[in-house]
Amino acid sequence: MKLHRVVITGLGSVSPLGRGVEALMDGIAHGRTGVRRMPGWEDYSGLRSLVGAPSELRDEKAIPRQKRRSMSPMSIFTVQAAEEALRESGLLPLSLDLNRVGCVVGSTIGSTLSINEFYEHFLPDRRFEEVPSTGFFRAMSHTASMNLAQYLGLTGYVMATSAACASALQAIGTGYHILNLGLQDVLLCGGTDELHPTVTGTFDLLYAASTGYNETPELTPRPFDAKRDGLVCGDGAGIVVMETLEHAEARGARVLAEICGYHTTGSGEHISQSNRPAMVHCMREVLRQAELDPGDVDYINAHATATLQGDGEEAGAIAEVFGDEVPVSSLKGYFGHTLGASGAIELAATVRMMAEGRIYPTRNLEEVAEDCKGIRHVPRSEDRRLTHVLKNGFAFGGVNASIALRART
Amino acid sequence: MTEKEIIDITNRVFEEDFEIPAEKLLPEARIFEDLGLDSLDIVDLVVALQKSFKVRIQDDEKVRSIRTLQDIYNFIGDKRKETGL
Repeated sequence: MKLHRVVITGLGSVSPLGRGVEALMDGIAHGRTGVRRMPGWEDYSGLRSLVGAPSELRDEKAIPRQKRRSMSPMSIFTVQAAEEALRESGLLPLSLDLNRVGCVVGSTIGSTLSINEFYEHFLPDRRFEEVPSTGFFRAMSHTASMNLAQYLGLTGYVMATSAACASALQAIGTGYHILNLGLQDVLLCGGTDELHPTVTGTFDLLYAASTGYNETPELTPRPFDAKRDGLVCGDGAGIVVMETLEHAEARGARVLAEICGYHTTGSGEHISQSNRPAMVHCMREVLRQAELDPGDVDYINAHATATLQGDGEEAGAIAEVFGDEVPVSSLKGYFGHTLGASGAIELAATVRMMAEGRIYPTRNLEEVAEDCKGIRHVPRSEDRRLTHVLKNGFAFGGVNASIALRART
Repeated sequence: MTEKEIIDITNRVFEEDFEIPAEKLLPEARIFEDLGLDSLDIVDLVVALQKSFKVRIQDDEKVRSIRTLQDIYNFIGDKRKETGL
């Protein structure tokens, strides 16, 4: 069977740095942060991490009410990111065979906000009265994907991946395989999630959330840094338009990058601890598929969330595969960990770095931690031709995902 | 509760929950055809009316014969009388 080459032709995001990829890149270029002290979070008993990186919900009424009623903020973010990506790809207004167009959008558990809202109605009296008819549609694990497809009228694949913080990369990777096989022409792929105290609390109770910078939120998270103390949860959405190279060429589309390898692995070891051998295996398999030697890679956009354990394991895994020559940076110091959205937002930023020929540094990295040494960190912006890059995304459950991109030629 | 109060409260539900402009809220307006509600909206409309008027209408067979806004005003008025409100 002939495998089709797969390219990216559009990028879209709603992030803690603002709506749109321009706002995202402008924030990164100026070293801004989307992290802030979250008002009201001190009222949650036992919650020690009071910082977050929320995306702003706005212009939602541009979506007609009957399309919007089944959307929680994550679906609205997804639709807005998708429209931006479609605009860039030149596919709007959609005039394709919509049976050949679909979407794969991942998230951790669907809409955290809607699930919480449901239980606020339901408990403690177990009452179904007053539960809105569309509550389930807003909450379910494929809500973003379903809403996007309904909004755009897509009749091809409608799927949702769910592997916590690797959800978006798995969505893009799954889309890559579907397009590889020629089963669709165009796919909108990415991820989304919502910020809520229960989300941060989940990490906090595992000692994985940042707790020491509640009064100085701009100083956290600190990927790879000696003073890192955990991640900062955020929310938003990232969507990329992907299509087969033939389809893109036939319509004269501008190709932003080619996906040339994707792999995902489990660790089989531990549900919460990162695992270096599994990461190494994941990245090596991507290199094999992409027919790249480690030295061919010009930049690695790390997962690095600023947890004590995860960053050290990732640095060690990168060192084992790539040594200390390939520049590595993490973007989470700018806009926190957007969880199910992170892989797509950060991949979009990485594609833009390829276009700009510029690597942006790891914000808040002041002193590289002992356990994160042995790789080439990027302390300040550097100009460099980026022909091949690698994007990592790792998740609870021992799940890893990596994607290799090649610049348009 | 006066008839005017029933009309005002009902119309507010249509404006706030279903984003229908006030000028479209005429007594003869048909809920599906003119105001654009669908079957899912009706589930939420029933919940909103129950909450606003403190009556239980979910299981009332007469709900099925409602077609226009005026039908709702009448139904609510009767229901409140029935339950002694």
